[in-house]
Amino acid sequence: MSVINIKGKDVPYNEEEIITFSEGLIGMPEMRRAVLVPMDEFQPFCWLASIESETGRFIVVDPNEIFAGYEPFPAEQVAGADLQTLAIVKISSEWDKTTVNLRAPLVINKETHIGAQLILSDSKYQFAESLMQN
Amino acid sequence: MLVLSRRTGQKIVIGNEVVVDVLGISGDGVKLGISAPGETSVHRYEVFTEIQAANRAAEVAVDDIENAALGNLSQMVRKNKDNEAI
Repeated sequence: MSVINIKGKDVPYNEEEIITFSEGLIGMPEMRRAVLVPMDEFQPFCWLASIESETGRFIVVDPNEIFAGYEPFPAEQVAGADLQTLAIVKISSEWDKTTVNLRAPLVINKETHIGAQLILSDSKYQFAESLMQN
Repeated sequence: MLVLSRRTGQKIVIGNEVVVDVLGISGDGVKLGISAPGETSVHRYEVFTEIQAANRAAEVAVDDIENAALGNLSQMVRKNKDNEAI
């Protein structure tokens, strides 16, 4: 059991929970190994926290919790794989201006815990989709 | 920076596995074919930098967030979900 500090709070995690982004996030090769920590108080949001860097902290959410019917790629394309899809949330100091990146989701294989950030070619999903319009 | 001249149909190779093929040229546009191993990502530069900027902005924003903002968002999302279920 190890411990990671997230906004001043120590959160325990198991080695098996570690998610590996082989290439890091896009433009952030240092964001390679991270853990996903659900916010019990603020569901459905989670922390995605680098275990290698104190600054690698993101807020993520399962986009389907907010945008019903979000389908980043055709279901038949990923048949048989147990995948978790997450979108990075950009919190604004004016909370109602918070946006979600639906165009570049994080996809994680739940079995192997290997993940990657994808860029969707379908432009119906935006880089900064407002959380409020739903 | 290495600068190379190539004609249509000619290629360059980067490392051992990445091959860039000049498929065609028309006006000031050039059509490239890129063969790379599955784990190598290939993006248009401007899309790459846009997402990099979005990732960095989202990372920085975490430092300033207050629980009140998260509370409001969480409440709103859950309320919308309940409404959908009805």
